[in-house]
Amino acid sequence: MITLSRRELVTSAAMAGAVLACPDALLAATGGAAPWTLGVGDIEADIPLQTLRRVHGKAPAGLAGTLYRNGPAKFRRGGTASGHWFDGDGLMRAFTVPGDGTATLAARFADTPKRRAESAAGKIIMPGFGTPAGAGALVTGPDDTNAANTSVILAGGELLALWEAGSATRMDPETLETRGFKTFRADLQQMPFLAHPRIEPDGRIWNLSLSGKSALVWRLGADGALQAAQGIKLPRASYLHDFTATERHLVIVLQPWIQDRMRLPYVDSLSWRPEQGTQVLVVDKADLTKQRIYELPAFAFFHLGDAWEESDGTIRFDGCIEADPTFGATSARELVAGIHHPAPMPILGMIALFTDGRATLTPSGTAAEFPRSNPMLAGKRRSATVHVGTYRTDRPFAQAVGVWNWARGADDSHDFGGDHLVEEFVLVPRPGARSETDGWLLGTTVNLKARATELHVFDAARVAAGPIVSWRADVALPVGFHGNFAARQG
Amino acid sequence: MRFMIALLAATLAAPALTPAAAADLDLRFTGIETPTGAIMAVVFANEADYTAGKPVRAMMIPVKDGAAAQVVSGLAPGRYAIKAFHDIDGNGQMGVNPFGQPVEPFAFSNDAPGNMGPASWSAAAFDLADAGAVQTIVIK
Repeated sequence: MITLSRRELVTSAAMAGAVLACPDALLAATGGAAPWTLGVGDIEADIPLQTLRRVHGKAPAGLAGTLYRNGPAKFRRGGTASGHWFDGDGLMRAFTVPGDGTATLAARFADTPKRRAESAAGKIIMPGFGTPAGAGALVTGPDDTNAANTSVILAGGELLALWEAGSATRMDPETLETRGFKTFRADLQQMPFLAHPRIEPDGRIWNLSLSGKSALVWRLGADGALQAAQGIKLPRASYLHDFTATERHLVIVLQPWIQDRMRLPYVDSLSWRPEQGTQVLVVDKADLTKQRIYELPAFAFFHLGDAWEESDGTIRFDGCIEADPTFGATSARELVAGIHHPAPMPILGMIALFTDGRATLTPSGTAAEFPRSNPMLAGKRRSATVHVGTYRTDRPFAQAVGVWNWARGADDSHDFGGDHLVEEFVLVPRPGARSETDGWLLGTTVNLKARATELHVFDAARVAAGPIVSWRADVALPVGFHGNFAARQG
Repeated sequence: MRFMIALLAATLAAPALTPAAAADLDLRFTGIETPTGAIMAVVFANEADYTAGKPVRAMMIPVKDGAAAQVVSGLAPGRYAIKAFHDIDGNGQMGVNPFGQPVEPFAFSNDAPGNMGPASWSAAAFDLADAGAVQTIVIK
């Protein structure tokens, strides 16, 4: 019989408690990282062009182009680490399906001043969303800290790697070579350019810059050239990662996660003030001074779906609604350390703004993130929202992809199972598409068992049938954020 | 970064002083990428004035052939620091974007880097000896 002293007993109980509370942290501390941490690993060098291995299925006829995806892929240097998932160096990935049944992958880091400075220092030193400034950090402007890691659009023949607190970064669409920061006009140097521009079906681009209660509204033509940049004032200094738009209005959702002090890293300057509720500012695209404000109960969010307007003027849009900002404030910080900190699950909800001033939020009951929809219907009435979902309690990241149909109140989804970390999927309309889901879902997962990134194509109208085709890379890229598909021209 | 606006205001209001003992400061700006406008430079004689934006000298040095230079004479030997910006568009003001971020090049003596604000006095300060001094500042 083993007799434990009181002290040993206390220690053992504390250890058991620690194991129950934080198994991933303990595993990380003892060198046995949890399998999901592959999704927040480091990539040490650019990935030269490789042909992907077809795992099953057959590429659909008519799908030809490149899925550009961006996301952080370098978090650690010389014993130091990024303090937040949002602060890793942006790795631009190009998944190309040329239309002959094959698929390729190439990936290249955005060559930013941040990456150069940290590479030279051999340490993570630049301040970020959740990373404090380290010794030797030299910051003369926002772009010195630009991670260029959040999303990507093709505009005016240039690939723009997007980040929300500084300039877009220009890259070559073919070679992924970095060409420097995008300056749309000399007096707009280093103005932030959010990572979620809203793109009208004809290619016109709307975007915002945010700084406290100040915003700048960008309007670019389909050729990527600046058409207008005009300032507006916001009623509060909310954290704002995404906004949405109808054909006639910009819809700016102001959650009560508010910057009320100046502190680095940025996330430490935000306070959660649920008693203030959520506000929605609606701005007329044709006259930015024409504005309306709606009030909703408090919620936190990162992402919204495309909005539309009904004939009676009612504005509707969906969003991935969180009860509070625990994910962004805490969980996404701890991810980089290999710790899974559970947060309120994002639930897809529909928001309606009525002309009499009322506003409602109706939850779907479906857990969802990375909402996307048919780009040909941006700003127009629609019912399908592509999303990732099915979150587990024992690890971060989604394991399913689905299309929620608001008209039917039903989800058409595919569960990849616990071995996959599911990344954003985009809807690619079939050439000459006749309906909203006449096309494909294209997206990626990190297969934890195969330790490899996979590219999958679904029939957007039959997601539950599983992937039409899946390809596998010979490398596992960390979980990325957002991407867009560029159809092959001609 | 709004300090540059204050700097400009100080520039326009700066008095010129002529001390008894005087030395020459040979001021040269290099690295200029846009060959237009002028370098607006101000000289400070101590840390308190540097922080408060109260210069002992202020000057507008035209950019010629990608460079700008001026000999500042009549300064008492001692310790000084310089703040400067390149007024590319010649409007007499430090250009800033709508959020107050400088969009025209700026620099400090000793090429001291600004870090989330102006360079510190200790990094930018230099000695002006009886025999004078040369400050070559990269501004781009």
